[in-house]
Amino acid sequence: MEFNWELMFTSYAAVFTPSILFMICVGTVAGIVIGALPGLTATMGVALLVPLTFGRAPLESLSMLMGIYCGAMYGGAISAILIRTPGTPAAAATVLEGYPMAKRGEAGRAMAMALFASFFGGVVGALIMTFASPFISSVALEFGPVEYFGLAIFGLSVIISISGRSLIKGMMSAFFGLLICTTGFDPISGYPRYTFGIVEMMEGPPFIPTLIGLFAVSEVFNEVQKIGGAQQIMAKLDQYLPSWADIKYCFKELCRSSIIGTVIGAIPGAGGDIAAFISYGEAKRASKNPERYGHGEIEGLAASECANNSCSGGAMIPLLSLGVPGDAVTAVLLGAFVIQGLQPGPMLYKEHIDLVYQIFASMMLAQFAMQFIGMAGIQLFARVIMVDRAILTPAIFVLSCVGAFAMRANVFDVYCTLFFGILGYVMMRYDYPLSPILLALILGPMAESNLRRALVISGGDFSILFSRPIAVTLMVLAVISLVMAIRGHQKVEAKLAEQEKLFNEVTQE
Amino acid sequence: MKRRTLLASALVLTAGLFAAPAFAAFPEKPVTVICPWTAGGGTDVLLRALSKEAEKFLGQTINVVNQTGGAGAIGHNAIRTARPDGYTVGMITFELNSLPPQGLVPFTWKDFDPLMRINSDPAALTVKADAPYSTVRGFMDYAKAHPGEITIGNSAPGSVWHIAAGLAAEKTGVTVKHVPFDGAQPAVTALVGGHIKAVAVSVAEVRSQVQAKNLKILGVMSSERDKIFPDVPTFKEQGVDVQFYTWRGLALPKGVPAANKAKILDAYKKAFETKDFQEFAAKASLNLSYQDSAEFAKFLDQNFKDVSAVMKNLGLAKK
Repeated sequence: MEFNWELMFTSYAAVFTPSILFMICVGTVAGIVIGALPGLTATMGVALLVPLTFGRAPLESLSMLMGIYCGAMYGGAISAILIRTPGTPAAAATVLEGYPMAKRGEAGRAMAMALFASFFGGVVGALIMTFASPFISSVALEFGPVEYFGLAIFGLSVIISISGRSLIKGMMSAFFGLLICTTGFDPISGYPRYTFGIVEMMEGPPFIPTLIGLFAVSEVFNEVQKIGGAQQIMAKLDQYLPSWADIKYCFKELCRSSIIGTVIGAIPGAGGDIAAFISYGEAKRASKNPERYGHGEIEGLAASECANNSCSGGAMIPLLSLGVPGDAVTAVLLGAFVIQGLQPGPMLYKEHIDLVYQIFASMMLAQFAMQFIGMAGIQLFARVIMVDRAILTPAIFVLSCVGAFAMRANVFDVYCTLFFGILGYVMMRYDYPLSPILLALILGPMAESNLRRALVISGGDFSILFSRPIAVTLMVLAVISLVMAIRGHQKVEAKLAEQEKLFNEVTQE
Repeated sequence: MKRRTLLASALVLTAGLFAAPAFAAFPEKPVTVICPWTAGGGTDVLLRALSKEAEKFLGQTINVVNQTGGAGAIGHNAIRTARPDGYTVGMITFELNSLPPQGLVPFTWKDFDPLMRINSDPAALTVKADAPYSTVRGFMDYAKAHPGEITIGNSAPGSVWHIAAGLAAEKTGVTVKHVPFDGAQPAVTALVGGHIKAVAVSVAEVRSQVQAKNLKILGVMSSERDKIFPDVPTFKEQGVDVQFYTWRGLALPKGVPAANKAKILDAYKKAFETKDFQEFAAKASLNLSYQDSAEFAKFLDQNFKDVSAVMKNLGLAKK
């Protein structure tokens, strides 16, 4: 597939019409709102709005859906930063640094950086999508069960980076997460495990309600404990764009994360949540100040937000060129294409190459729309953090329960949220990190089902795991990343111990 | 006497006041349709397209609600237990007949009031375009000559396509390894990437890859050839008598008043016949196969018996 410059310019011209730009903006606004509301994900947003596109021209409807997709990926960060509730699973890693920043009164700085990082990642993802689709899509097909297992193991090696101060407690959280992943249907034999005869448990712990429970509801309980004391966070709200110093500080991470995000997005089945966690882990590993992570390090925030947005561009690559969706959102988009009478895949490139380029162009413009609309919204959104906690906390609680219910209109999910909320609260009280549970919930099923699948194919022979170069590379990377992360962790501990000693000496004097 | 007539007429009047709108004006509020599968999936898109047309004939809004989970068990249960007043309709799918034999749900299709069948898609045996076989027989012979090598992907353990592949293997007497994936799409992707040898999913699910010449269909498990790929012979034509379909239809909870049922059925039947819906189905390569309530019930009965028997043979049914 030769790159066609002329076609690219004409396609930008086609997209630069009032009606298409309007559709992109409508989509982006809807996307940001949907993304920011916990329980409504990018996938749902696109799915719910697909029927609205039935009667419209292909470019009009697809550009609106692109807007929703990109907008929702950023929108998830808003609630992640302000109320510790990842609006979409892809923003789960954003909570780790975003919320501590907001608590410190830097909500504006965090939001500006999240927006800029999303924009940066989105642009890089869209660029890679435009120029390197054929190359990347050939790699995507190489991923079979063995490779997915390798990827899941590599992803799990990030656990050390998100474990907080105690490795043992991090590991305990992670293994607990892996354990609860085993509830529900066995992925290969179909046998229901640990369901206690409850139909709702047959598909394992519902992901979004668990996420909302662990992060938002546990924080609500935590806040309730403190209500009474003057508890208003004063935030400086004068930023639309991150400062030049912040951009320079994070620039290396932005570049790295946008590439990691695009590549992970292009692998079918691995979406923004995995991309964000892996980028975050890599950022911490490469950082000069890893001890600042977990306490509101802007670099970590930039890494995760950048990765989940570049992931969208990446996920479009296999969808358009192979007809294979790269993540859950693009799986729904596939349906939207089919309704338009378009079948994504190699034939789309042959028969509708102009539309393919127009999709590239609308994806790129959606990033700009997101940046501008996001800037207009920052002041509005960031004010949330300054609302009196006695009002904000119950509101978050209600929002959490509604969000859990909204996913599939089932009260069981609300109970599930409350259960994980209480569990999360108890774990926080005793300094057990929550993020490893989440990572295990994302990657556990992927690791298990693909390992089992590989073993079905090989007839139970484990040597299949070492027979494929990509899988072996990923597993070697996992070991390296693990060893380096442990050594990094020891360094951080040493540094912190030194600081504490100094602090004690100073206070004693 | 006078008092009694008065009372009677009063009764008739009040009854008329309350009953008349209930009969004459059904539906007087929006109707809910339960979809047991996720928003944006094949079933959901079909249901939304059909309901959009049906709204015009029903004169009321139709809200599609996705109650997912438990491999369809939750949604089907919600339809079954809904208030039988005609304001809740549901989409029932193949899983209604495959969940009970596995002992996963305490109800069968007999606990529903079938309304109409919408579509039925046959399974198609699909392999890589460069595979050394191009007929179902050739594939089975290859499988016999190379034991342990053939892997057939399906959309989930115990799913319709798992059963289809099991049935085909059983009928031809070959042993294959069934590899369950998380949906048909990932299975097709794995086949394109060469990680498995075949899939037995619907024609719609492999269409784009077949048209792109990455995959080829060896045969369809239906009585007639496919409309999109008329060159592909059926299994029966190739001497393997296997027919296997997935299906989707509408149903009501038991006990809906006949008048209300008739109105719902009428609206959906008219919607089914609209040009817009027919065009939509053609684009989405859905194999439409309408059946009215009575035919649908007969079909469900036979299908339930067939599926239970196959699942027992495959070791998927609860003993």
